[in-house]
Amino acid sequence: MRIEDIKFEQKASQRIYNDYMKRIKKATSSLSKIDQDDVYMEFNSHIYEAIHHKNETNEIDSLLDIIEKLGLPEEVLKPLVADKKLQQATKTFNPVHVFKALMLNLTNGVSYIFFFVLYLFLFGFVFLIFAKIFNPSLVGLYMKKDSFSVFVLGIMNPEHQITNKTYEVLGNWFIPVMLLSIVLFYFLITLLLKLKKSINQKTLL
Amino acid sequence: MNETFVTNWKSQVKKGTLTFVILNVLKNNEYYGYELIEQIRKHTEIEIAEGTLYPLMNRLKTEELVDSKWVEQETGIPRKYYSLTEAGIETLKQMNVYWQNLEKSIKKII
Repeated sequence: MRIEDIKFEQKASQRIYNDYMKRIKKATSSLSKIDQDDVYMEFNSHIYEAIHHKNETNEIDSLLDIIEKLGLPEEVLKPLVADKKLQQATKTFNPVHVFKALMLNLTNGVSYIFFFVLYLFLFGFVFLIFAKIFNPSLVGLYMKKDSFSVFVLGIMNPEHQITNKTYEVLGNWFIPVMLLSIVLFYFLITLLLKLKKSINQKTLL
Repeated sequence: MNETFVTNWKSQVKKGTLTFVILNVLKNNEYYGYELIEQIRKHTEIEIAEGTLYPLMNRLKTEELVDSKWVEQETGIPRKYYSLTEAGIETLKQMNVYWQNLEKSIKKII
């Protein structure tokens, strides 16, 4: 569907309208093109209908009143952008979308903080791969000699390795295991997000 | 009389019942955004922050309670019409029963 902008008689009105619509575009820039256009067209339609229902003689007053009632795009569209981003993230499995969706939804409930912490773990695994490449002798999965409990996953100095009686267990398998952990964590987070969404829907129905 | 308390309470009631009001307005007809706001105002005298309607409609759509479609207009500016889905109709029935029971209970104590 083609997006048609509203034409105003007064230059000042046109400038106010253009500026407001530009702010809508900016506030929704992280969404897909279809969603951006959808929000843009809906606010455009609202402004157009409101102007024609008001029938006020002063165009600029009428427009300012409508825009004021609609509210600041950056504030009003915040929950909509957060919701749409979450839909996009759970549909596409794209890590950038998932990360952005979690950032936007942090204020929408404690559970998203839990998801965010899981995501931080995932980045931790990525960091460890690079750390292993640059520091192969110090980075690893260290366990206590006399028990099977994990002592350290990360960097450990040789002195600490001796004093704590630990040894590295993964060796050359460290990077493949971290890669596998990243994939598993990533699918776990996205599936949990999907599950949370469907639970939310079921409790409402 | 604590006027601030009453004002805050009224605003909470309005906020809490807005979804219920929207679904009931959409019960018999489909409306586009601006028209929906006008209908809410006409039937309930609730003045809503107009911009907040659209995120709410999107949430109702995600919950599959309402559906929407773009309809081209002669003016060149299309309208997005909202209507209840089957799930929305069923959900609203449950909500209306709950509301009526609540109303009866409250009437007994006031």
